Amino acid sequence: MTLPDYVLGTFVTPSARDARQVLDLVQAADRGGLDLVTFQDHPYQPAFLDTSTLLAFAAARTERVHLAANVANLPLRPPAVLARAAASLDILSGGRFELGIGAGGFPDAIAAMGGRRLTPGQGVEALREGIGIIRQVWDTETRGGIRVEGTYYRAAGMKRGPRPVHDIGIWVGAYKPRMLALTGELGDGWLPSWSYLPDGWASYAEMNARIDDAAAAAGRRPEQVRRMLNVMGGSFGPSSDELLSGPPRVWVEQLLEARHEHRVDGVLLATDDLATTERFAAEVAPAVREQLAA
Amino acid sequence: MELGLVLDGSRPPSELLELAQAAERHRLAMVVVDPDDLDAWTLAVWIAGSTDTIPVVVPAEPDVEPVPTDPATPYPQVVAHAARSADTLAPGRLTRTEPFWVRAEAGAPAPALRDLAGADGTVVVEVADPEEVARLARELGLDERPATHRSPAVRARRRPGIDYDGVPASLAERAVEPGDPGYQAVSSTYLRGGAPGLVLRPRTPEEVADALAFASRHRHLPLGVRSAGHGISGRSTNRGGLVVDVGAMDEVTVIDRASRLVRIGPGATWKKVARTIGPRGWAITSGDYGGVGVGGLATAGGIGLLSREQGLTIDRVRAVELVLADGQQVRASATENPDLFWAVRGAGASFGVATAFEIEAGPVSRAVGFAQLVLVVDDIADALVTFGEVASAAPRDTTVFLVTGRPQGGRSVVQLFGVVDSDDGEVVVERLNPFVRLGLLAQQDVRLVPYADAIGWAPDVGPEGHHGFGEPVSRSAFVDAVTPALARDAADLLRSGAVHFFQLRTMGGAIADVDPQATAFAHRHAAFNVAAMGSSHDALRPGWERVRQHADGLYLSFETDTDPARLADAFPPDTLARLRELKRRYDPEQLLRDNFAIDPATPVAAQETLS
Repeated sequence: MTLPDYVLGTFVTPSARDARQVLDLVQAADRGGLDLVTFQDHPYQPAFLDTSTLLAFAAARTERVHLAANVANLPLRPPAVLARAAASLDILSGGRFELGIGAGGFPDAIAAMGGRRLTPGQGVEALREGIGIIRQVWDTETRGGIRVEGTYYRAAGMKRGPRPVHDIGIWVGAYKPRMLALTGELGDGWLPSWSYLPDGWASYAEMNARIDDAAAAAGRRPEQVRRMLNVMGGSFGPSSDELLSGPPRVWVEQLLEARHEHRVDGVLLATDDLATTERFAAEVAPAVREQLAA
Repeated sequence: MELGLVLDGSRPPSELLELAQAAERHRLAMVVVDPDDLDAWTLAVWIAGSTDTIPVVVPAEPDVEPVPTDPATPYPQVVAHAARSADTLAPGRLTRTEPFWVRAEAGAPAPALRDLAGADGTVVVEVADPEEVARLARELGLDERPATHRSPAVRARRRPGIDYDGVPASLAERAVEPGDPGYQAVSSTYLRGGAPGLVLRPRTPEEVADALAFASRHRHLPLGVRSAGHGISGRSTNRGGLVVDVGAMDEVTVIDRASRLVRIGPGATWKKVARTIGPRGWAITSGDYGGVGVGGLATAGGIGLLSREQGLTIDRVRAVELVLADGQQVRASATENPDLFWAVRGAGASFGVATAFEIEAGPVSRAVGFAQLVLVVDDIADALVTFGEVASAAPRDTTVFLVTGRPQGGRSVVQLFGVVDSDDGEVVVERLNPFVRLGLLAQQDVRLVPYADAIGWAPDVGPEGHHGFGEPVSRSAFVDAVTPALARDAADLLRSGAVHFFQLRTMGGAIADVDPQATAFAHRHAAFNVAAMGSSHDALRPGWERVRQHADGLYLSFETDTDPARLADAFPPDTLARLRELKRRYDPEQLLRDNFAIDPATPVAAQETLS
C-alpha cells in the first residue's frame, strides 16, 4: 500500500495513562479514512507509551491507515533495531509503515536512559550514518553481511533483513541548516512542526529552499522529498488567527493554500480530541482531496 | 499440563495470525514468538494486538551491556519501558521471560507432548496449521476443561486478599479477574479508571445474594456496585477490590397498563427504558443522559429533564426489590418494609443491591420539544441570574439545564438544553424564548422528537466497555435561587480555571410537591442543583467554598469529596439520624459503604446536641 502523494493525518500524544483513548483516536483516523497516524517518540518519558510498541499494537488494530513515529529518537533506538522493527511492521501491516526519524533532543534525558551524549553537529553525523545502516538492513539484494566503519556505528558482517514490503519513506525532523541539508541529501520526507517555525510560512519556505539546494547538490529532484507539516491544536470553534481554527470550510481553504502557496505535501493534525479527529476526517479531508483532484 | 504454540516468523503474517487465533480458540496457555527474520518484539505486540486473550511470550535474551556504537542492540532501559507499555496496551498478555517451558520437536504427537510437560508443566511446539492445533487440543483434552480453568499466566495476575477459587459456583463462569480477556472492558467506568481485583456479574437476585456473601468474606477490600458505570460519588470501580456488576439484570417490562407501572432491572440504561415505553406515550424522568443506569440513579434521586413535571425519579418508584447485606431478598414499598422504602429512595446504595424497580411512568407528548442552545455572554454572572429567574418561572412542562466552563477572552459560552413537554411547535418556541435573553444566540437546535431521543443520544457502550481514566473531581450543592451574590462567586470560580464543567439543573415544580420527610432525599426546597467538575480538589476548593456559602445540602450523586463532613450536607440531621437507625437494622457491619458511607453509630457530637 503506497501512501498517496498528498497526505492528511494525525499526531496523537502516546499517553500511557490514556492508552485506550490513544487507540480510539487511532481507530477514528483509520475508520475516517485519514492517511497517516503518527506518534512522538520520547523513550525517557515514562508518561508516554513506548512508541515502537504502540505502533505495532496500533497496526494490529487498524486496517488502512499508515503509521509512523514523528519522529523516532535515533540516539536511543540503534539504527539496525529501528530498521528491523520498521521492516517487520511494514510486513505485518501490509506496507503501512513509514519511518520518521530525528537526531534526538534532550541530551540529559537520553544519557539518563543509557544513550550517549552528542553535540548537535555529532547528532547530524550519527543520523547520516544511521540512515545508511537502515537502508542497508532493508537491502537484502546485496550479498553478504553489513560492514560499517563509522564514527558513531560499527558493525562487522551484520545480518541483513527483513526486507519491507513497500519502499518505506525515511522522513527527517529537521529545522537547522545541517539537518535540512541532510534531509535534502538522504531523506524521503521532511517533518517539521508549525509551532517550531519562528516566522511561520517564511521559515517554512526558507527551510524548504535549503532542502532543495541539498537535494540538487546530491543530484536529486526536489519532489523526492515529501514536505510535511505538523500542526498543533486545530479547532472547529470560532475562526481565529491560528492555523486550522474555524469551521471546516476555513480548514479546507487553509490546507489548499498551504498546498498551493507553500508546497505542503501533507499535514498532520496534533490533536487528542476524538470529535476533532472525526470531523477532520469526515468534513475536511474529503473536501481537500476533491479540490486537489479537480 | 499446559500447551503453548511456537510461532516462527518465516510464515506470512496471515498464517501467523491464524495460528495464534487457533491457539486462542482452543484455549492454549500461550504463543511463544520466536521468529527467524522478523523482529520478535514487533511480531509479539502485533499478535497481542490482533488477538483478545492468548498470552504472548517472547523468550528473553541475556542483557547485553549496551555499546553505543553497536547498531543492532537495544538499550535495556528502552526494552523495559517497551515491556511496561505492552502491559498497558494488553494487560497481562505480553511477557518477555526466560523459558519456563519445554520445547518439543515440531510435529510431536499428543502423547509425546504430555510426557514432556508432565502434570504441571508447560510444553510448547511448532505446528503446521490451525487444524493441528485443533487436533492437539482435542487429543490432550484442552477443549474439555471447565470454562473457569485459568492458565498459570492468568492466575499470576490475581490480586492479593481475594479468594478467587472460592467464588460461588453460580458466579464463577461470568466472573472476570485481572488476567481474563474481558477484564479491560469491565475495569473502568464512564468517568473513572479502575483496576478491580474481581468483577462478579450476577444475573438473578439469588446470584446477587451469592455475590454479597462472597463480598462479606472480603470486608478488607473496597466493594463497588455497578449498574451501568456512570457513578461519580458511587465508586463502581476500584483498585484491587470487588465489583458487583448488575448490568445483566436489564429487563424492562410493562406490568400494568392502567397504572403505567413498569418493572425495570437495575442494569437497564435510561435510554433503554425511554425507548421501551416511549411508543405508549409514556416516560419516566431520569437525568439528562440516557447512558446512565437505572440502579444507581433510582436509589439516589434523579434530577432530570422531566423533573419539574414528574418530580425526581425516586418519586415515581412504587416498589423496590433488593438484596440486603445479609443476603436476604426483600421487597420495599409504601406497604411492605416502608422504612426501607423510605431509605432506598435517596440513600439506597447504603441499604442493599436493588434487583428490580417498579416505577410509575407518566404520560408524555408523543413528540416533545428538545432544545440545545448555545449562547455567548459577556457577563456570566448576569447570565446565571437571568437563567435562574427564567428557568424557575417556566411552567412545569419546561425543564432547562445550563452548562458552562471557563470564560475565554472574557466571554463565556453557555449551553442550555432542555425539554418542553409539548408537541406544539408554537408552545415550544414560546417556552424557550425567554431563555434567549441570556446572551448572543450562537447556535440553536430545537426539534420535536420522542422523549427517548432527547436523552437517547448517548452512544452505546461497546464490548470494550467504558474508557474512563483517572478519578473524577466533582462538587455539588443545592441553592434556593441564583442570587447576584451566588452568581458573582460562581463567575469567580469559573474564571479561576479550576472548573471545566459547571452545571445548573433546574428543580422546583413537582420535586417540591413532595414532603421533605417522605424520602431520604430531603432537599425539596431547592430551585437548582449546582455541580462543578474540575481536575483537582485542591484547585477547586477555594472558589467552591465561596459558592457553597450560598448553598446548602448536596446531591450525593455528583459529589466526590470523601470528607465524612459531607454526609451532613447530603442528609439533614433528622434524615441522617433515621438513616443511621435503619443502617443499624439493615447493614450494621457496613458492607455497603462505597457511596456516602453511613456510619450506623451516632457520632458523639451529635449525641451531645441531642441530649
